[in-house]
Amino acid sequence: MSHAQEAKLSSRIIRPFVRHTASRATSHAPWATAVLAMFAIFAPVSKAQTAATPASTKSAAPAHKHTAPDAAPSAPVKTIGNHSAPITMEVFSDYQCPSCGNFFETTLRAMIQDYVASGKVYLVHHDFPLQMHTYSGQAARWANAAAMIGQFQDVDAALFDNQAKWTADGDLGKYVAGALSPANFKRVEAILKGCTGPAPTSKVDRSLPQAEAGCPVDPYIIQDIVLGTQIPVQATPTFVIHYKGQSYPASSGIITWPILKQFFDTLLSQ
Amino acid sequence: MTANETRGNIARTLLILGRLALAAIFLFAAYAKLKPQAAMPWSGSSIKTSLSLFAMQVDSYQLLPPQLVSPAAHFLPPFELFLGLWLLSGVLLRYSALITTLLLGAFFAVMVRTYMAGLEINCGCFGPGERLGPLTLLRDGSLLALALAVTIGAFVQGRKHQVESAPVTRVSAPQRAD
Repeated sequence: MSHAQEAKLSSRIIRPFVRHTASRATSHAPWATAVLAMFAIFAPVSKAQTAATPASTKSAAPAHKHTAPDAAPSAPVKTIGNHSAPITMEVFSDYQCPSCGNFFETTLRAMIQDYVASGKVYLVHHDFPLQMHTYSGQAARWANAAAMIGQFQDVDAALFDNQAKWTADGDLGKYVAGALSPANFKRVEAILKGCTGPAPTSKVDRSLPQAEAGCPVDPYIIQDIVLGTQIPVQATPTFVIHYKGQSYPASSGIITWPILKQFFDTLLSQ
Repeated sequence: MTANETRGNIARTLLILGRLALAAIFLFAAYAKLKPQAAMPWSGSSIKTSLSLFAMQVDSYQLLPPQLVSPAAHFLPPFELFLGLWLLSGVLLRYSALITTLLLGAFFAVMVRTYMAGLEINCGCFGPGERLGPLTLLRDGSLLALALAVTIGAFVQGRKHQVESAPVTRVSAPQRAD
């Protein structure tokens, strides 16, 4: 993919979003100014993240099929589907939030199998781990590390599928290992080697979380939290839908697949 | 002007103001749900999109089965528009106010249930983007109280009119049968 294509793709997601939220954010100055400044700093990373989506992922096929096993870890790719799909859906989610788990199992899974697989929807995952959940930040770290080696989709599903289990015992690695090959699990573990302290989470007082030095995934989680704070994400799951350069107002809560599908069909019939 | 007449005038004025306030709120609620989202111009397609977006908000309450969500979402905004216009006209106010009270009561009950269940969703009351919380509950509770007051006022006034306009029938004294 050329740089021009990458820039076009990233602006498609980020610019409408910023336009949509800028007017809200400015009313919270100076706090919002700091957040926007943070966003400006992280924007190039976000571009890389989006642009790093394999051009060959025309369907919802797991990304690891397109990744060489020995490829060096890069910016996490937390997207599923074809980036040139007409509809882009950005979901802000917390792996330990029961509603997010429910939303994934009842709606997103069906959407991935149907509209993402058929190239109608491009799904972008953003982490928004809540402070109230003990393991959500750590789960986000595992997902981001897996995304760095192109294994996001499987680990994302495994985390939601086993949410109740790891919420009870805190043993996230066991369920991530179940979703990956032994070699890939070792690579993910190696990425998280320096992540020994508390994982970043969104704060109740809206202050920015700190990234742990030596933990390569923390800046990406914080980037997502900053992005979500600008919307503003007030609960998880929250999602924003983009179509033909327009951003539709953020929705929260569990929306069933038939109703979400109906909204997509309405957009596509315009 | 007697004290009774003054009280009557104040009550009539308050009833009109309450009616107009409810009408304006319902018209605005309908407009907010039907208006084009994003930068779309007004068209049949934009209204369809707005109603589909509203259907997602109705769905997030997790109250109706999916097959009823869409009909409810397509019925409510036009009905709010109709109710707003009916209240504005003042025709058969007792009935329009009663229906408004019942509708707001139903909305309020659903919102309280949803809030108590801990669902963190958008209210959907005046279009997308407003979170359901204590302030929205307070606002809708106040609207319900206003609608109830207008309904009671409309019924009281209606009864007064009935009494005042009823034909006066004089009962003639019974004739003595001598």
